[in-house]
Amino acid sequence: MRSPLSIDGLSLTLADVVDVARNNRPVELEGDARRRMQRSYDWVQRAATNDQPIYGVNTGFGSLARVRIDPEHSSRLSLNLLRSHAAGVGPVLPVPETRAMMVLRANALAKGVSGCRPLIVDTLLAMLNKGVIPMVPLQGSCGSSGDLAPLAHLGLAIADGDHGRVRVDGVELSAAEGMMQAGIGRITLEAKDGLAITNGAQLTTAIGALALHDAISLVEAAELAAAMSIEALRGASRAFTESVHRLRPYKGAIATAANLRCLMAGSALIDSMPEKLQDAYSLRCTPQVVGACRDAIRYAVDQVAVELNAATDNPLIILEEDGENKAFSAGMFHGEPVGIPLDVLKIAISEVANLSERRLYRLTTGSLSQRLPPGLASKDRPQMGMMVPQTTAAALVSENKALGWPASMDSIPTCEDQEDHVAMSTTAARRAASVVSNARLVIAIEMLGAVRALQFRLKDEPGVRLGRGTQVGVQRAAGILSNLGPNRTPSEEIEALAGWIEAGGHRDAVSGLEPIA
Amino acid sequence: MTVTISGEGLTCQRLHSIAHGTAVVLCADAHARMQANVDSMPDGPSILEEKRHWLVGGFAAEMSPDELCRTFILGHCAGVGPRLPDPLVRATMAARANVLATATTGCRPVAAEVLLEMLNANVVPVVPSQGSVGAAGDLAPLAHIARVAGGYAARPAGSTTYRPSSKEALAVINGISMTAALGAVAAVRVRRVLDAAIAAAAMTMEAVGAGADCIDDRVVRARRHPGGIEVATRLRAWLKGSDQVRYDRGANAFSIRATPAVMGTLVDELSATETVLERELNGAGDNPLLMDGEWLEGGNFHGAPVAQALDSLKTALAQLATVSERRTFRLTYGQLSKGLPSFLVRGTGLNSGFMLTQYTAASLASECKGLAHPASVDTIPTVQHHEDHVSMGPIAARMLLEMVECVADIVGIELLLAAQALDLRMRGIAFDADGHPVDAAPVRLAPSVDELHRRVRAEIPYWEDDEVLHPCLASAGRLVRTARILGKDLDW
Repeated sequence: MRSPLSIDGLSLTLADVVDVARNNRPVELEGDARRRMQRSYDWVQRAATNDQPIYGVNTGFGSLARVRIDPEHSSRLSLNLLRSHAAGVGPVLPVPETRAMMVLRANALAKGVSGCRPLIVDTLLAMLNKGVIPMVPLQGSCGSSGDLAPLAHLGLAIADGDHGRVRVDGVELSAAEGMMQAGIGRITLEAKDGLAITNGAQLTTAIGALALHDAISLVEAAELAAAMSIEALRGASRAFTESVHRLRPYKGAIATAANLRCLMAGSALIDSMPEKLQDAYSLRCTPQVVGACRDAIRYAVDQVAVELNAATDNPLIILEEDGENKAFSAGMFHGEPVGIPLDVLKIAISEVANLSERRLYRLTTGSLSQRLPPGLASKDRPQMGMMVPQTTAAALVSENKALGWPASMDSIPTCEDQEDHVAMSTTAARRAASVVSNARLVIAIEMLGAVRALQFRLKDEPGVRLGRGTQVGVQRAAGILSNLGPNRTPSEEIEALAGWIEAGGHRDAVSGLEPIA
Repeated sequence: MTVTISGEGLTCQRLHSIAHGTAVVLCADAHARMQANVDSMPDGPSILEEKRHWLVGGFAAEMSPDELCRTFILGHCAGVGPRLPDPLVRATMAARANVLATATTGCRPVAAEVLLEMLNANVVPVVPSQGSVGAAGDLAPLAHIARVAGGYAARPAGSTTYRPSSKEALAVINGISMTAALGAVAAVRVRRVLDAAIAAAAMTMEAVGAGADCIDDRVVRARRHPGGIEVATRLRAWLKGSDQVRYDRGANAFSIRATPAVMGTLVDELSATETVLERELNGAGDNPLLMDGEWLEGGNFHGAPVAQALDSLKTALAQLATVSERRTFRLTYGQLSKGLPSFLVRGTGLNSGFMLTQYTAASLASECKGLAHPASVDTIPTVQHHEDHVSMGPIAARMLLEMVECVADIVGIELLLAAQALDLRMRGIAFDADGHPVDAAPVRLAPSVDELHRRVRAEIPYWEDDEVLHPCLASAGRLVRTARILGKDLDW
């Protein structure tokens, strides 16, 4: 059993989220956080019976905040919120993304400003630790006021009653059955519980965090693929000289140039055509383009890092503030701070893939490839010509352009004009995840082409030295491909390399590279 | 029922029924025409050797014809991503068989018959959905089908033994049959959603007591758009005998008053798209063509005509999404719904009623805006400067399919809310602008609207106090997709 991750609403990292979501790392609630939650809960319980209206505690929701609710109905108010807000449609959210959403919601509550009991977090964490994962429909959230519908589906699994569906080891069950089998008690809701479970953009952030993690890894794979292609195309190294990039000192470009130098160090193919003064942009401008993407991704990483440990509830209970009313109604649930960075992520990753596709085009085009065989076809393995995979890459980067439409730029008024600007951040996150997986396939295709191209160079010039990093990259990638057997299709080769990249196989191939974050 | 494949007369509707399991047979005349076409083939080198040497370098001449075909087809199996659902693969196979049946492609009848045999035995190849640029055809997806048809991957015992000729290896993949097939299935779904949307709009008009002027035949005819005339005609039919939709109601908001204009645009666009699709389905989408004993090199594999039509249809469909969402907004908005309670329930506050239902519609409508991005405005040079302009039609088709799922749920939501609103009217439940209950006479529904209301209620109960919303939304979406709202029960 691995050591549990302790959550306190303050220190959750992107790596932690991935670990809980994909590697089932156990999670526990930290002691101070538990005490903070209890104090905040105690205040709400007292306030719920007072005359002072507190949003969602003794009032209705959204535009119905104008209606006062008798304190004796507060449990039903919470339950009704979950039931009527379970408005998701479409396919079911995959398990890792659901797990990420659960740990993010638990961490937001662990800040101790939502007025809800530690029991809610304990229940969420018990579900994570025992693998009882709610069925959450993917579509229907506007990302404000939070991912209400998806989180309401999560809440229905927790709240006692004949509602909610869960998956346990891939088997779909009623929530009552699944929780009973796992020995996890369901909760009778109290004042504000419904709001505390639903108010925040945790689905946006869950999908976005996993996509961002994959994007960071993908940029490293893209730099390796670029180095391999540049060597295969007998590129010139002067464009990557450190002093050049110090004169236009973008952090990302400096890092990409450094990584290319590191990966290509010692290569006998680089600078092997002194008559060629400069290369095409898809080679020469790799630091400028991929570097700009690194800078954009770093912005997204910074924003998401804030959101991972943010209070996203409404109202917030801030006991340190003076005055009797400790409940602060604000707009912390609004998905915009995450939606915009995820739309930016789409642009960045689309450009990483666009550049890759153009390098692949050069590798496969006889007149552009410094005498590589046209289409990278050979007598040995004729079915492995690379013309068709290049077309596949073109289709993928084109699809990214359509997915790149910025979802967070849109808004449609909701809730009788009370919630008259919404984030659409959930759509941004879903599209970002699609762009990243399309881009991963494109990088895999470039790598496939570059491996073949370098194998041609090695055949033409036996023993020619490859770069320090590219040599390892070629070895590893060729190893993956050789496992596939002689009758493999390009489709199988691309998926195998993409799977290798997705699992981070390229990351331990080469050490000493500049990370993004 | 059996659909006869003859290279002509294949409609979107027929292709949709094949997608869902209808049997197919090659027409005897088409069989004879195909044979005559092959017999007219001039002597000379293999088409594949001549045209596709780039795939295998200069080594084509060293390969046997069979080896070359196998290499060609397996080399094109470069699709990636999620698997295309079986009905869409079936539709693609039938569409390709019909192109071969045009008897212009230099293929033997058996090339089409093998595809039809697979359809009748429900042998459905695994086809990855991504990787085609829609020129020169949907090469990769069709190659995944050809791999099975050509016997390069396992087929069930008893299947016809078939090895493609060199032209057949080319002809089976060299056209946009996947784009056309996906577009045709999508067009059938769009029509289904549109029919339900007109019914939903009638229910909403009845629920808010709309003015009758906007669907007056004189008004829409004066503007001449056939789609607008049709929508108004169908709305009048649904609302015949209505006490609520009258000429003395005054002007409504645009989402109601401009229904013939907005939804009529989709009617016209859909008809235009079906025309393009049906031309393509029955057209010689291959290259080169064998005509009058000569090989002719054209660009019939290019997806531009269909890509453009599907992108246009997406734009019009997005308008249905946004206009239905606005009607949903009005129905849930106490101050805009002419006396209906906020969120269409009593006891609001403790109940949130259908508050979130409108958010879901808004979220889906916003998704549609993104999906409407025209795929065909992009092109990327491929294949060594040779295929230097491509259509991106398959992306348009897949996004259209995704969009129509969103719109089916949006229209389902309007049905759900309009039915609830009609219940409140029938019960005489009304509120003033401040949300206080007022007396109102129970309303009697127009007979056809009453029928629609009963079909909703057969599957979704009236909402008194807050319940779990999701099953209602799922049922509402099914009413649209199955056409049960119109008293039918169809495959989606």
